[in-house]
Formats: sequence, structure tokens, C-alpha cells
Amino acid sequence: MWSKRINGSIETEAFPAAPDLVMVFGPTERLADQAFIDRLAERYDGAILTGCSSGTMVSGDQIDDDAVVVLGMGFDHTRLALAVQPLPDSDLSFAAGAGLARDLADDSLAGIFILSNGLNVNGSALVAGIRSAVGDTVVLSGGLAGDGARFSDTRVLARGGNPSDVVAAIGFYGDHVRIAHGSAGGWQPFGPLRTISDAAGSELRGLDDEPALALYERYLGEEAADLPASGLLYPLEIWDPQKPDDRVVRTLLAIDRDKGTLTFAGDMPQGWKARLMRGMFDDLINGASSAARHAADQAATWGVAPSACLAISCVGRRLLMGQRTEEELAAVSTVLGADIALAGFYSYGEIAPQNLTAVPCLHNQTMTITLIGERT
Amino acid sequence: MTLSALPIPVEPPAPPRPALHQIAARQAERARLPDGGIDIDRLLALVSATYTETDVDRRRSDRANRLMAEELEVALAKSALQNLRFKAALDNMNQGLALFDAAGHLVLTNQRFLDIYGLNQATPGSTLDQVLRSSPYLSVSTASEHRRLVQEYDGAASAYGAKIEQRWPDGRTITIERTRLVDGGFLDTVADVTEARNASAQIAHLARHDALTDLPNRTLLRERLDEMMRNARRGDRCAMLCLDLDRFKLVNDTLGHPIGDALLVAVAERLVSLVRHHDVVARLGGDEFSILVQHVTSDHAIEQLCRRIIDELTQPFEIAGHHIQIGASIGVETVEVDSLDPDTMLRDADLALYRAKSGGRGNYCFYTPDMHVFATRRRELEIELRRALKSEEFEVHYQPQIEIGSHAVVGFEALARWYHPERGIVPPNDFITVCEEIGLIGAVGEFVLMRSCRDAACWPESVKIAVNLSALQFKSGTLPAMVARALRVSGLDPRRLELEITESAMLEDTAGVIKQLRELKRLGVLISLDDFGTGYSSLSHIRNFPFDRVKIDQSFVRDLGTNSDSLAIVRAVTGLCGSLGIMSTAEGVETLDQLNILVAEKCDSAQGYYFSRPVPLADTLPFVSRMLALQSRAA
Repeated sequence: MWSKRINGSIETEAFPAAPDLVMVFGPTERLADQAFIDRLAERYDGAILTGCSSGTMVSGDQIDDDAVVVLGMGFDHTRLALAVQPLPDSDLSFAAGAGLARDLADDSLAGIFILSNGLNVNGSALVAGIRSAVGDTVVLSGGLAGDGARFSDTRVLARGGNPSDVVAAIGFYGDHVRIAHGSAGGWQPFGPLRTISDAAGSELRGLDDEPALALYERYLGEEAADLPASGLLYPLEIWDPQKPDDRVVRTLLAIDRDKGTLTFAGDMPQGWKARLMRGMFDDLINGASSAARHAADQAATWGVAPSACLAISCVGRRLLMGQRTEEELAAVSTVLGADIALAGFYSYGEIAPQNLTAVPCLHNQTMTITLIGERT
Repeated sequence: MTLSALPIPVEPPAPPRPALHQIAARQAERARLPDGGIDIDRLLALVSATYTETDVDRRRSDRANRLMAEELEVALAKSALQNLRFKAALDNMNQGLALFDAAGHLVLTNQRFLDIYGLNQATPGSTLDQVLRSSPYLSVSTASEHRRLVQEYDGAASAYGAKIEQRWPDGRTITIERTRLVDGGFLDTVADVTEARNASAQIAHLARHDALTDLPNRTLLRERLDEMMRNARRGDRCAMLCLDLDRFKLVNDTLGHPIGDALLVAVAERLVSLVRHHDVVARLGGDEFSILVQHVTSDHAIEQLCRRIIDELTQPFEIAGHHIQIGASIGVETVEVDSLDPDTMLRDADLALYRAKSGGRGNYCFYTPDMHVFATRRRELEIELRRALKSEEFEVHYQPQIEIGSHAVVGFEALARWYHPERGIVPPNDFITVCEEIGLIGAVGEFVLMRSCRDAACWPESVKIAVNLSALQFKSGTLPAMVARALRVSGLDPRRLELEITESAMLEDTAGVIKQLRELKRLGVLISLDDFGTGYSSLSHIRNFPFDRVKIDQSFVRDLGTNSDSLAIVRAVTGLCGSLGIMSTAEGVETLDQLNILVAEKCDSAQGYYFSRPVPLADTLPFVSRMLALQSRAA
């Protein structure tokens, strides 16, 4: 297997061979440009071409808000397949996930990498849909496309198009391919313990019988004007009071001031406990480092070095860390070494197995690392 | 020269490269021009952006910290209020409560816990040991038992909810219950159950003891018998004594129940003082006691015990100013414990008691198998009496009553006779008592009354009929109605019917009896007081009710001429009757001498064998004629 990241011009930079898989991450307006997509398709004819939009791209240990990053991979013993399902409405997330899994399911299926539109999706339901069809034995990772702090349009690159209402998944087949994961946040809960008193699906109305929107506005102060993007500064840690050790982080995706609701990138079960979280730069950077460490530890057992790394980090981290964002990539690079082809994007939600249980699920506000290698 | 501590110079560690240096390096890299120079404007813009970002982040942190502090303050205030409420709720619980953490350190107690242990306070952080040590109420053993709970819990995690009950040195009964908590701590719940335990002990005691004398009752006696049978050694003998107080009913009736009760208590005390500690004195009800004597060595020893009991109970009792003399009869059954059957033993002792009583009071009697025959005989008698009533085997005989001055027949006393198909005539003494005991007296009494009234209606108008009433006939309250019916059916002039009652009929429910007597009086019948002199409060009875006649008991008449006391009594009664305007009749006149004395004492009339035995109806009129003839001859 080979892999190479191109973060200059596709016209001037070339891969060492014809790639089997090309992943493209770029600003929304670039990916919305069909002519650009056509050029990519023409150039990488014969490869599976996919990718998604984002406000910030990862290119090695650097970030770039404007550039398109292309990651090409060539496999020697691994078959790939692409599945695409329409996802015009978040209510269809489970069905879309199940559809993808059915399309890809095969005895030799070893892993799935998903890229979903970032706005009309319930990531938890999408993952549940996939798991419903392939179970927990197939490793699953990926992320939701992003749009920086705008939250207005996300794109998924698939089958030569760039729609904003689909979810795409790549299936990796055979027993040569190796995929490892790590996911960590580094956010710290703070303030009083709260209870989700009024919620439906991923929509939250009340915490402790108080309007949740008012709570966010109070904490954000003048930055409340930038909601929902500024809401990413304060994710919620939530958990079932019956399983206090099993906690998930939910990030804010949208608000509706008229209805007084906050929409999160996953279910908000009524009765669950919740605490606001905030990120200290160093904690977040340590989180990214530990995600990489977790993945690297798995890869260390392969007998072959990982060739490519997909780093999907949450847009909330980008918003909070500003110019210090690159430090989390530097931390990842430090763990993985300079030789690996590292690309990725800042997302509206990350998908990866849980570090402890290995059960795939939707993460929020994390750095999620997917390492890919192939044994000879 | 003085020595002082001198700072030792050390090499400071190399400081880590500050984050801002890294940022500055990156910014410089980004502002680098293709020729290697720096784009100053670009660099300044990046630096400026960093300042702004840092400033924003600081403001966010400040704001979040301030809001969090405010929220926590509100939460703390709520929590303090909640704690206050909790404390009030905990302090007002009936149970004491102490919460310990996983390390066994006290977290909190409620007021009740402090009260129960007599503590002013229990310092959080103390161990259970320290808490128990400061309690003034615990003995060494009760405290260590409580501590043992901890070890039990530590030893067996499954022993949740275990409970111990302790009797404290100050007499309280305390239950301690421990519940393991999820955090590894435990909660001790302590309750003072003294009252509840005392009450249940009291209930258990009452269920097995007689409330009046506090002696074991029949239930406990049975339990002791069972226990004795379980623990018996081979050949061990025991005795059951059934004991009845003589004349107790009279005490109860005459002096009232409170005195009767006090007497029973005194009797119980004397009985207990007479037996060994392992013997059981029980009260079975009324004036019935039983004594279970264990490890009996000989019948002789039991006989001695019986004599001691009778002697002791015959000694007068001084109760509330009353000098009371009673006695006791005892029935005894001795058996080998191996072959003991409690029911049979009690029954046999009871049969022996019956025999003891029938042989005169103040006796004891050992059970013999023939008593069983006697009891069987009595059961047969009951059956026969019921049959006799149905098949009209009863008859009435009449004993004439003679006016002493004129020797005229002034009346007859009706006396029931039983014509037994096999045994011939059975006298009243042999069956009236049984009739009373088995509830046949009402029917037999009614038969006698109806028959007597019917027969008397055929006699000359100057001849009255006297009918005996049993005390039991007053119980139903229907006696006046029955008498009225007898008069109506027979057409007998009420003034010719004389109803005889004994003093004992007046003793129980005196008011009820007097009321019925007054009703009878209103019917026009005469009332006489029978067996006068043998009872107790004779004079008060005469004062309480306007009797028409007093009949002097034959025991006094029999002794006339030989016993001056009897003469004195007869004289007193006739004198009393004379002054109160009440007729007097002497019973049991058998000799002319007796008659002459009665003449001298101005007794109004007499009856007895001297004149005639009781005779069948057919002989009554001839007797009247004969006496009339005698009278005219004398005139």
C-alpha cells in the first residue's frame, strides 16, 4: 500500500501510481464547484473519489481554512467499494445507515469509513442503522461534513457529484487491510449537575426545568449572537443515571430561537444527567495526543506501519483554540511520526469505536484518528 | 561563631518552551516571504489575532467561572435548605440513625440516635467504637455486640439488613439494624422497642397466666405438663391436685366480687407458699385451682401436702376488714410421667375432687377407677332425667302444714317425686341438684307448679299449696309469667298459692330476684322464706322484702328440747315474725315435745313426720277430713 497527501495543486503534484482511493477535503465553496469536481474525477479516473466539505482542513501537522487537501491511497491486496445513500432529512438517518451497511455487507468486509452531510443528520441514528445491519465486528469510523462556523451548507463528494443531502461510505475488504482508531476530547465538565428535563430526539428544550437556550445565552454573553457556532464552546456531557460511567459528549448543531430549542448532534434522552463542558487549550491538545496514542497502540500490533491517517477533529475545538489549533495536530504528528500521510478536516461530528468498549458511536468535540495500513 | 542554615545554590531546570513561543515561531513561518524575509504586516496581523483570541478566551473563562460560582452558590443554598429539611425530618424520626462512610467513619446521626445512646453529640469522623465508648448506657458486652455487627458485615457482604436485639443494662430493649450502602458505607438504624417488647411479653404472659392471681392458667399448665413429659426420667411420678374452695360462692355473693377476688389472690399466695418451686400452681377458673406436683416420692407425701393445703386454707383470711373462713376440697391423681395423658390426668383428678366434695367439705380424695363408674352413672342419670321429663315420670307428693293452735290443715307443701320405672320412687335430694346442674330445673319446676296448682284447686278454700322455687328459676326472668299461667290454667285463687324461696335465691342478683318477687306479690300469691336460719344475712332479707311467712329450718326444730341454742334461735325467729306480722312455720316436727315447745313459742304452724309424711294427691283430702274430725273431737 502507498499513500500520499497533496496539499498544493492537483495539476502540479502527482501520486506515485494510479490511486485506488482518493479523499478530498476542502472549503464548502470549492467542493460546491462542479467544474472542480469534474476535474478531479477526470484526473483520478478509476479511483474511488470521495470527500467532504469543511471550514478547516488538516494537512499534516498544519491546518488550512482555504486549501483543498487530497489524500490518495493505493492498495495491493484490498478491495474497496463505495456506497451512497440519500439523507435529505435527519429523521432518515437510521434508514440511510442501514442502507449503506446492506450495500457494503460481505463476509470479507473489514471496515467502513463514512462521510455524511453535516446538517441534516442524526449521527447517533446513522451509526445505529449501520450497526443494525453489520453488527459490531466491522470497525467503523468517519465524520460529518463541516462548514466552519457558518452551519449553512455541507457537501459530500460521491459518484462524481457533490450533493448536500447524502451519506457516503467506503468499504474495505479482505484480511490484509488494517484499520485502527482513537478518539478523545479533553473537555472538562464544570458547574452544577443538571438533568435533561425536556427533550425529544436530538432537540433539547429544558435543563432542570429551565430553558436550555437561556442557559447557553447566559454563559455565552455577547457571543450568544454567534449561536449556534459559539455553542460549540460549551458541549454537554450527558449520561444515563443508571450507567454513570458511560458518558457521551454532545455538541450543539443548531438553535431555534422561536421554539426555544437547541439541536445537538445526537440524541438527548430526557431524564439523563448533563453537565456543561469547557475546553482548556492544554487539555484539548492532550486529548488529541491520547486519541493518536490509542490508535498507534493498536497499529503497533499489525506488524506493518500504518500508511495513512485520517484526522477528523471537531469544529468546536477549532473555534475555541484559534491559532493554537495546530498544536493538537502537532501533538498527533508527534505520536504518529512524520512519515505517515496525514489528512483530515474539522467536522460537525466524529464517528469511531469507543476507546473502552470498541462499540462504534457518534462522538462530539473529539479528535478522532483513523489509521489505515495493509499487510503484505 | 554561630551556624545558620544557608541556601544551597542549585541549577534551575531548563524552562519548557512556552506555548506562545511555539505560536510565535509558527506565525513567523507563516509570514515568511519567498525570499526568506518576513512580511511584517502579516506577522503583526497574526500576533494581533493571537492577542484577541487570548483576550476572548480569558473573558470566556472569567464569565464561565463567575456564572458557575453563582449557580453553585444557588445550588449550595438550595442544598443547605434541603439539608435543614433533612435534618428536621431525621431528627423527628422514631428511630435513631447513624450513617458511616466506607472507612467506617461517622457521617451523621439524628437527634434520636443521640438520645437513645445518651450522647450530647457525636462528632462526624468518629468511629463506631468511639461513639459507643462515649455512651453512658452501654455495658461492655452490649457495646461489643454492636461492634460485632461491623465485623459480621465486613466478613459477609451478603448479610444485608441483619438485625440484633439487645437488652441494655438500664432495662431498655434496643434493636440495631445495619444496611450496607452502595458507597461501601453503612447505615445503622436503632430503635427503642422496650414498650413494644414489654407489651408483647405482657400479652404472652397474659395468655399463659390468670389475670387475677397471676398464677399459670390452663394453657401454661398444659405446657408445663408437656415439658415435664419431655424431660421425665424413667419411673418419675407426678401428681395432679384439683382443688375447689368450699363456701367461696357464698363469699362472692355476700361480700361482693372485689372481696371474692382478693380472697382468691390470698388463696393463691398460700398455695404457692405450700409447694416446691418446681411444682405448678394454676388457676383453672372461678375457685378451681390445680397443682402439678413433680417428682412424687410417695402417696404419703401427697397426702401430707393435701392436709397442709386444707389446714392452711381453713385458717381464716382477713380481707378488707372481713374475717373470712373457707375451706378446700382436693382431688388427686398420681401417675408415672411416662404413661401420662394430660387430659385424662386432669379429668381423673377432677372426678376425685367431685368425690371429695360429695363426702363432705374439707376432704381430699385420691382417684380410683370406680370414680369413673360413678361419673358414668351420673351421665346415665342425666339421660334418664331428660327421658323422665318427656315420659312424665315425675309426680308431686304433698306434706300437710298444720296450724299449731287449731290443728287444722292450712296447707300442703308440694314435693316432687320421680317414679323411676326400675328403681321406684326417687326422692328429690337424689335428682334436684342434677336437674339444676344440667338445666332441667326450669322444666321440672314448671311441671311441679302446674300440677300443684291444678291439684290444690280441688281442695277446700282454706287449704293453701306451697311450692318450692329453685334459685335458678329466677334467672330467666319469666317466673312471674309462668306463675300467672299456672293460676290461670288451674283457676286457683292466687291467695292460696304460697311460693317458697330459700335465702340463697336472694343472694345472687338480689335486685332482680326482689323485682320478680314483687311482681309475684302483685299477682296476689304469698311468698315465704324457706330453710330460715341456715343462711347468712337473714335479717336483712326479711327487712328487704315483705315475706308472708318464714319457715324455720328443720335443723333447729330437730334439736328443740336438747339444744338450748336451737330454742333460742326458734324463739328469736318466732318473736321476730310476731312483731313484724309474718307467719312462722316450723319444719321437720317429729315429736310431741317439739310441737309443745313450738306452741309455747307461739309458732303459727308446723309440718313434719309427727303429722304426716308427704302423701300422694289421693291421700290429701282424706287427711284434711281426718284432721277436721280430730279438730271437732278436740273441740
